[in-house]
Amino acid sequence: MFNFSVYERQAMQKIPLMQAKAGMVLARDVFRGDSSTVMPICGKDTVLTDDLIKRLDQMDVQSVSVQGHPVWEEGELSYEDLLRELDRRFEKTMQDPLNSILYDVHKAQLIRSMEGDSGR
Amino acid sequence: MEDKRSALKKIILDTKTLPTLPGVISKLNSLSDNDKASVQEMAKIVSSDQVLSARILRLANSPSYGFYRVSTISNALILLGVNVVKSLALSSSIFAIMEKNSVGLWEHSLGVGVAANLMSRKLGLSECEEIATAALLHDIGKVIISLKCTDAEMEILRIVRDRRIYILEAEHEVIETDHAEVGGWLAKSWFLPDKLSEPITFHHDVAKSESHRIKTSVVHIADVLIKACGFGNSGDCYVPRIQQVAWDTLNLNEQILSEVVGEIEDKLVDVKNFSLEMIGA
Repeated sequence: MFNFSVYERQAMQKIPLMQAKAGMVLARDVFRGDSSTVMPICGKDTVLTDDLIKRLDQMDVQSVSVQGHPVWEEGELSYEDLLRELDRRFEKTMQDPLNSILYDVHKAQLIRSMEGDSGR
Repeated sequence: MEDKRSALKKIILDTKTLPTLPGVISKLNSLSDNDKASVQEMAKIVSSDQVLSARILRLANSPSYGFYRVSTISNALILLGVNVVKSLALSSSIFAIMEKNSVGLWEHSLGVGVAANLMSRKLGLSECEEIATAALLHDIGKVIISLKCTDAEMEILRIVRDRRIYILEAEHEVIETDHAEVGGWLAKSWFLPDKLSEPITFHHDVAKSESHRIKTSVVHIADVLIKACGFGNSGDCYVPRIQQVAWDTLNLNEQILSEVVGEIEDKLVDVKNFSLEMIGA
């Protein structure tokens, strides 16, 4: 049986801090710099405020993971488009047993990343 | 048939037109063979070239190695090792061209570096930094083909576009060799150690890698994973077939694959930011 551990995780999006807005909810602890070996400076499930975002910026935090999929880049593709792209990339190797495992992993990820897609 | 290939080899390895290697490299080469050379001595030599030092530090802090904050050349030598710093120094002149002219390939290379690093850590392999470096350099042959055989490269890319085939196949049609072999020639001419040149040479044919099959397998799988993510541009958009020998060598399974893919997707945001910063810089 294939274990879709990716399904069990909550839908979230990692975004540059610049795109963070008040009201977004942290999906992961935030650490100073890139190291996860030190204490988090802000816990998950925290609702972001303008002040908090400013302080994270002062602490050199580059990106945060927030719940759902709140930020849509211009030109960002819809689920159908992304799936079509994925199929195109795998068109030569889909029949291969090992590649088909990888394809399934990616498809599962795609579905997960689209959960919580509210604004579109 | 052999003629075209050896003629090409001659053109590619013509030192007069090969991107100039920083003079510190030969000094570094002679030092590291000497057991008594201290990290301080080596750091002093590298630091004497400021542009080179800046490039090395930038690469050392790229997401491909991004588990450390490396602020000095001696730190880089200690944390990443002499081999890695040496190959970063060698490749930095090539990468300088790549950053500007082929952003897609640059992003692909960085991505494969990240994927290889994540995977070797997950699998508990030794020499993760060397593996990440080999991954970062795995497509160096494409850069050289583009530099030295611009017309051939355009023909190759046209064939890929028109006939929707792998770039590797198109390369064989046009230049009777491929970027992996060309990268291998280059690695050899630069005296890169086997643990770097072998994964570069055989990342499309893992079975031929004999002394460093584990490293070659990681680079092969990392390449496949980044292509599956559709990140960067390596000439064609098609995911290569995962080679059974690589899968077996690394003892992979669905579970590991799914975890690694999740971590890669996560890290690719950082890679994108890093490459945007570099281009803007």
